[in-house]
Amino acid sequence: MQGVLGAFHEIDSAVHAVEDLKKQKIGDITVYTPTPRHEFEHALGHGPSKVRVFTLIFGLAGVTFGYWIPIWMSDYWPLVVGGKPIASWVPFTILGFEVMVLIGGLATVFAMFGFAGIPRLTMTVGYDARFSGGHFGVWVETDPDRVEDAMNILKKHGAEEVRRER
Amino acid sequence: MATTATPLPKDQRPNVPSALVRFPAVKDYEQVDREIAGTLGPSLGWFAALGIAILCLLIGATTWTYQIHEGLGAAGYQPPVMWGVYIITFVFWVGIGHAGTLISAILYLFRAGFRTSIYRLSEAMTVFAVMTAGLFPILHLGRPWKFFYLIPYPNWRLIWPNPKSPLVWDVFAILTYLTISSTFLYIGLIPDIAILRDREKNPIRKAILSQLALGWRNSDREWRHFTRAYLFLAAFATPLVLSVHSVVSFDFAMALTPGWHATIFPPYFVAGAIFSGIGMVFTIAIPLRKAFKLEHYITLNDLDAAAKLCLFTSCVVGLAYLTEFQVAWMSGNRFEQDYFWNRVFGQWAWAAWIMLICNMVLPMSLWSQKLRRNPKWLFILSLFINLGMWFERFVIVVPSLSHEFEPWQWGTYRPTWVDYGILLGSFGWFFMWFLLFIKQLPVMAMSEIKEVVPARMKHSHDRSMHVAEGIIHPDETGAH
Amino acid sequence: MSQDTKQTGVKRRDFLKVLGASSVAIATTACSEDAGHLIPYLVSPDQTVPGVSTYYSTTCRECSAACGIVAETRDGRAIKLEGNPEHPLNRGALCARGQSALQGLYNPDRLRSPMSKKGGVWTAITWDAAIAQLSAGLAANRPAAGGAVFINQHESGSFPHFLDAWLSGMGMPAHLSVDFEADSAAIEANRRSYGVSWPSLSFKDAKLIISFGADFLDGWGANVPQQLDFADARAKLDGAPRFVYIGPRRSLTGLNADEWIACKPGSELSIANALAGKGSVQQAGTDSGVDAAILQRLVTELGAAKPALVLSGVNGENALDVALAVAAINQASGAVGVTIKPAQPITAFDGMARTDQLLAAVERMRAGQVGIAFVRGTNPAYYLPGAAKFAEAFAKVPFKVSFSSQPDETTEMCDLVLPDLHSLESWGDAEPLRGTISLQQPVMDPVYPTNSTTLPAALGTADVLIQVAKKDAALAAKYTAADYRGWLIAGFSGGAQALAAALPKGIATGTLAPRVVAAAPTAPAKTTSIATTQGDFFLVTYASSLLGDGRGANKPWLQELPDPVTKICWSSWVEIHPETAQRLGVDRGDILEVKTANGTVRAPAFPYLGIHKDAIAIPFGQGHKASSKMAVFDPMHHDVNAVQWGYGRYARDLGINALDLVPVGTHAAGGFIWTATKASVTKTADHRVLPSTEGSARQHGRGIAQAVDAADLNKPAAGESESLPGDASHAFLPGLRAPVAADAQGELGSPTSADQGIKKGMYAPDDVRGMSKRRWAMTVDLARCTGCSACVTACNAENNIPTVGAFWQNATIFADARPGFNIERGREMNWIRLERYFEGNPDGKFGEDFETRFVPMMCQHCGNAPCEPVCPVYATYHAPDGLNVQVYNRCVGTRYCSNNCPYKVRYFNWFGYGETDRKQYAFPAPLHMQLNPDVTVRGKGVMEKCSFCVQRIREAENRAAAEHRELQPDEFTVACAQGCPSRAITFGDAADANWTVAQLASDKRAYHVFEELNTYTAVVYLKKVNHPAGGAAAPRA
Repeated sequence: MQGVLGAFHEIDSAVHAVEDLKKQKIGDITVYTPTPRHEFEHALGHGPSKVRVFTLIFGLAGVTFGYWIPIWMSDYWPLVVGGKPIASWVPFTILGFEVMVLIGGLATVFAMFGFAGIPRLTMTVGYDARFSGGHFGVWVETDPDRVEDAMNILKKHGAEEVRRER
Repeated sequence: MATTATPLPKDQRPNVPSALVRFPAVKDYEQVDREIAGTLGPSLGWFAALGIAILCLLIGATTWTYQIHEGLGAAGYQPPVMWGVYIITFVFWVGIGHAGTLISAILYLFRAGFRTSIYRLSEAMTVFAVMTAGLFPILHLGRPWKFFYLIPYPNWRLIWPNPKSPLVWDVFAILTYLTISSTFLYIGLIPDIAILRDREKNPIRKAILSQLALGWRNSDREWRHFTRAYLFLAAFATPLVLSVHSVVSFDFAMALTPGWHATIFPPYFVAGAIFSGIGMVFTIAIPLRKAFKLEHYITLNDLDAAAKLCLFTSCVVGLAYLTEFQVAWMSGNRFEQDYFWNRVFGQWAWAAWIMLICNMVLPMSLWSQKLRRNPKWLFILSLFINLGMWFERFVIVVPSLSHEFEPWQWGTYRPTWVDYGILLGSFGWFFMWFLLFIKQLPVMAMSEIKEVVPARMKHSHDRSMHVAEGIIHPDETGAH
Repeated sequence: MSQDTKQTGVKRRDFLKVLGASSVAIATTACSEDAGHLIPYLVSPDQTVPGVSTYYSTTCRECSAACGIVAETRDGRAIKLEGNPEHPLNRGALCARGQSALQGLYNPDRLRSPMSKKGGVWTAITWDAAIAQLSAGLAANRPAAGGAVFINQHESGSFPHFLDAWLSGMGMPAHLSVDFEADSAAIEANRRSYGVSWPSLSFKDAKLIISFGADFLDGWGANVPQQLDFADARAKLDGAPRFVYIGPRRSLTGLNADEWIACKPGSELSIANALAGKGSVQQAGTDSGVDAAILQRLVTELGAAKPALVLSGVNGENALDVALAVAAINQASGAVGVTIKPAQPITAFDGMARTDQLLAAVERMRAGQVGIAFVRGTNPAYYLPGAAKFAEAFAKVPFKVSFSSQPDETTEMCDLVLPDLHSLESWGDAEPLRGTISLQQPVMDPVYPTNSTTLPAALGTADVLIQVAKKDAALAAKYTAADYRGWLIAGFSGGAQALAAALPKGIATGTLAPRVVAAAPTAPAKTTSIATTQGDFFLVTYASSLLGDGRGANKPWLQELPDPVTKICWSSWVEIHPETAQRLGVDRGDILEVKTANGTVRAPAFPYLGIHKDAIAIPFGQGHKASSKMAVFDPMHHDVNAVQWGYGRYARDLGINALDLVPVGTHAAGGFIWTATKASVTKTADHRVLPSTEGSARQHGRGIAQAVDAADLNKPAAGESESLPGDASHAFLPGLRAPVAADAQGELGSPTSADQGIKKGMYAPDDVRGMSKRRWAMTVDLARCTGCSACVTACNAENNIPTVGAFWQNATIFADARPGFNIERGREMNWIRLERYFEGNPDGKFGEDFETRFVPMMCQHCGNAPCEPVCPVYATYHAPDGLNVQVYNRCVGTRYCSNNCPYKVRYFNWFGYGETDRKQYAFPAPLHMQLNPDVTVRGKGVMEKCSFCVQRIREAENRAAAEHRELQPDEFTVACAQGCPSRAITFGDAADANWTVAQLASDKRAYHVFEELNTYTAVVYLKKVNHPAGGAAAPRA
């Protein structure tokens, strides 16, 4: 596999390039945008993120744990205070809630890391500092024999710069 | 062809946003990076401010050391007023710590456009305010070196804290809130750190920023999961904000003490927290937008919108004040009635009226659009709001304790230099962190601002067409 | 007596402190205080088992009455004084002053060794040297011996006889036995009318009690027995006598009266005459400024009520006349033999010298006729008014010797001090009642032994005199006994065996040789009629009921104990009527300048309902001054030997001396005239916050102190508490009686509860500890309580409660060093406090009567304790036997519990009062020897509160367990209940109907404070019973 990187200055040209590459089914495409733009999502047509599953599971786990802590504590060291029941679930709801948010929230973040593949140790190939600034990047990985076509498509749509990597 | 992005001279910049154009004076992405990243260079004034902040912090630290050595008696406690300046200031800072997450999370869910430019600094404010607040529960202990008794950790003594105590709820709530809000801040920062990384020339700084950016590459895949995770985090943070200050209010509401023992407290405190938070946002954002020459990012529209929120919360808080009196009046409970009479017309009238005027009366000026769009007035007002909200907590804590059930033990309260020294120190601590933050990391979310800044087009036709084509959406704020 | 060398004794005590400390003391005292080497006994001394208390019965010498006391000693250190139940005089009760004797014993300012003054400089000398100097001095001044003067603190018993024998042997006149507080007029009148110096008084046999300023609850006469009997009288409820108090100032006694008739000072005589039928009521009305109708009503009341008990404690110029008139009324009403019992005389005041005799002696000194002067235990340089110029006269005496153990003003002027042993360290006896000898024995080795090879370790004044006599050829023969103990045994019928047999009970039957009764003065000494003095107000001065004639001033317990009437401590004050105060624009705490012909003083004003509007009152007892420079004072108490001249570190330069204002005058009975002059009052610009524990003096209708009229007592309504917001009917009884403490809802309480919690550990009803059966509870009978505050001192002694009012305890670098500063900030630590609420006369009008209700308020040990659930660390929780437990070692000091306590009975350690290396340290050596090893000394930053004397409960339980038996009902009691001279407090197990407390809790007068909060308190109050004139309704809360 070889890769081609095209840097665009205008969003519409980048979008059209992506649409074109898709149409011609040339390799798989990664788009770099300084900011999330829907144009590309429409163009690339990926499904929604799976992060939410983790949020749900760990949220539920959290609330369970959050109830269990105080109930176990007061049961393990049963002292009567203010004539209240040893394990009184009503106030423990607060702890349950807080722990749910804590664990659910952190789980969401780590799930995001996992799916997005960060933290990433090296920047690898196919990235250009401009892409965090004002430029849009299109990175195509394809068979060596189709590299030319890819480059042409990118050029055709007005890429400022097109270069092969690897 | 696309217009080249040379911004007009400042005086000619049109800075009146419309529904379609949020930042008329911001032409393109490069300008965003240039202007916002440009604020990072330390200046002489900044060093001066930082110096003052650290001095205040040192004063506070010294005072605390002295208090630990001497005993809490060094502070001005006069039983039965067993809580004083420290708890007041604790609630004060927790309250301020609410605006940030509110603006970044709740307004995010509500798609309120004006959050884009101010949410980063208010999030930072939140984290530092909570860091400040977190000190006080330890600081007011008789034996602060034993604070870890409150944390449920397995220990050889096989004893545990009391999960029925509101103070233990506090421990859980505050720690959770600190963790989640700082995570929220950091996650939002990642793309911007990536921007800084890519602009950075100095290898050392570049290396550090690369670490912090976690190798962020702005790829569509990253953005997709990022935006979704951000949404869920916001969805979690929203009830968290509401819960945390409710829990803080339970410290009072769960007690028998007249003036504390009220079911109205949770909503009352949450509203108060948001109110004080907005106040602090004004106090910080208005000088900042001037100092950093970012008036065209934090536009008058944004201030206007925030002012409306401020007005609304002021009304809620005011209503709560009045409701308290009405409840006491209708309760037929002589203890409550005596207490509230003593609060407003008795011993503590001065404090109560500072509170009522600053929080109920002055904000009413915001009904006028002229004043809402007048940064100077908003700044002055915000100072009054901060004062008023500190006194709200004073009025809740001190008069209740000084005028309880047992007349023989009625008393008064007078803080000492120790209380004030530590209060000063808390401001020093807060502003030290905030000042360090604004010069190391962007005070505005560049990547989010870029969402509402027109992207450069090959075929240069006016944006309305694109709107019609649905290529871009004018107040596109979230990620979908 | 146990054999402690000072060395091991103190160290072992520290060991025990740690041992007894199951709590924070380990953390704090151990790290701050050097426990030293812990040396166990090799051979344990007799009667001493480490960690187990030994009890010695002896006699109290704090006032003339000589009550019997039992001293609890632990490993050779006296740690608590309690009344001797066997003793016929005080029957187990003891007042605050008596209990504070311990702080005289362990006073940090006690003189460690004899001292002699050379060229105005005091130097410590050895005992041998001191005795040598004494003998030499005596020899040198023999020629003038005829004019020698020995002033002794008045006491009954053998010592006065011993002393006079010694003096006559030395060719000196008999000694002057001075009790400056005693009421000479009453004594003289008693002698003339009843033939005894003081008859027993029986309040409970009276139908009506009328007191002309006789403060029989404030120290007038024999305080404790009178209070006991008065409380018994009040306990008869609707059968109890009505009590009318007549006088310009409403003292503690007056506050216990049902009615106060505020008359002008000096007008008591015409009222007494009116009552006696010798004068017209109209005349009395005009003289006294009292509405004649009231007096007329009183006359009829007195006529109807037989027998009545009429007393006079008037201390004006006509004191004797009033006393005689009153005695006549009693004789006429047939009270003698019924309410006044000359057949059972109290001999405490026999042989007492009068003030005029003392003044005569002073004049002799001035005239240079006195060659040798001795003082022992008394302090004329302080209590004689400045006008008497005592110092000037005393200075003329060539050889002055003091036997005082305290650095007082008189001692300071002497040439030689041979500090006497404390009464708890020495042998002696007393005859409080005719036919009863009260024995006094050392309860421990002296705190400061003589450290002499030739002399015994314990050397009291009597022993010193014997030593001196042995050196004298002429006298040596007379003194065969080695020491005073031997002398006593020789004189004791039955000798050593009989004495040994009698000592455990502390009393023996028998009579000592009668004392010479001082001849009545032929002509009254110089008196200035109060009418002729200048000023707008009558100046009423009175001896403080706590500090007495000033001798209590260096005892922190007594300084810290709020005055029962004004609730002010660590200060002097001027009582002024609110109406007058308003007229002069004077607020509470404004500094007033009070001026008379004799002097000027400045003191803060205390507007007080109970003072005549034409009078002001200033208490006597503060204002100790030192003429010499104070030894450099170190607040950390490092230099334990620094002598704090001016009556010690706690008393020095504190408040003012009221008698600086008063002229020297004695009335017809030769007694000192306290109310002798008018004074002018001017308001100054200065102001100070009064160091008072009083918040609001009114209950604001909150029903904390409830009362019922005797007439309504048996109406059904009397059983219910006064109507309150959210009034909860008597739901507390199930709470109180529930078998387990954590019980308010009953679900947790019942042993059959389904709750998993109580099935665990000690909460299980069948748990070995079996605590769940019990519900420790307390009743406080407000009909008995007189507000004397003895319970507070008892609690201080039992529970190691620090005093916080001394000026160096204020502590922070910027806080001003004022005595009582911590009290101004409400930081007092007393676990039990006496609240004094006024009822009626809301506008403070003069002439409108008001009622006073005293409420002892301590931790209520609620079944539903609000303090417990809010504690984040379980530092306070509920023990299964009903105790609300405070765990010092777990407490982190959030103080949330106190915020949530409706009764405000939790106290916080703002400073390290228990840490030796701090200036706030409350127990400077050797005061720390008094600490109770069973109770932790709390450290900085923890909360503390009344524990229901949990150490006593556990001790009793363990004793029962060790003896394989059940705890017997009323087997033990707590410190406050034990100490209460009115028997108002009862403690016990409310879950067991055999305990007295269980029966009292169901009394129809029972109520709970703030019952409507559903705290289910374990303390039940029994309503006060009022006896309004003609059964008219009394003012209500």
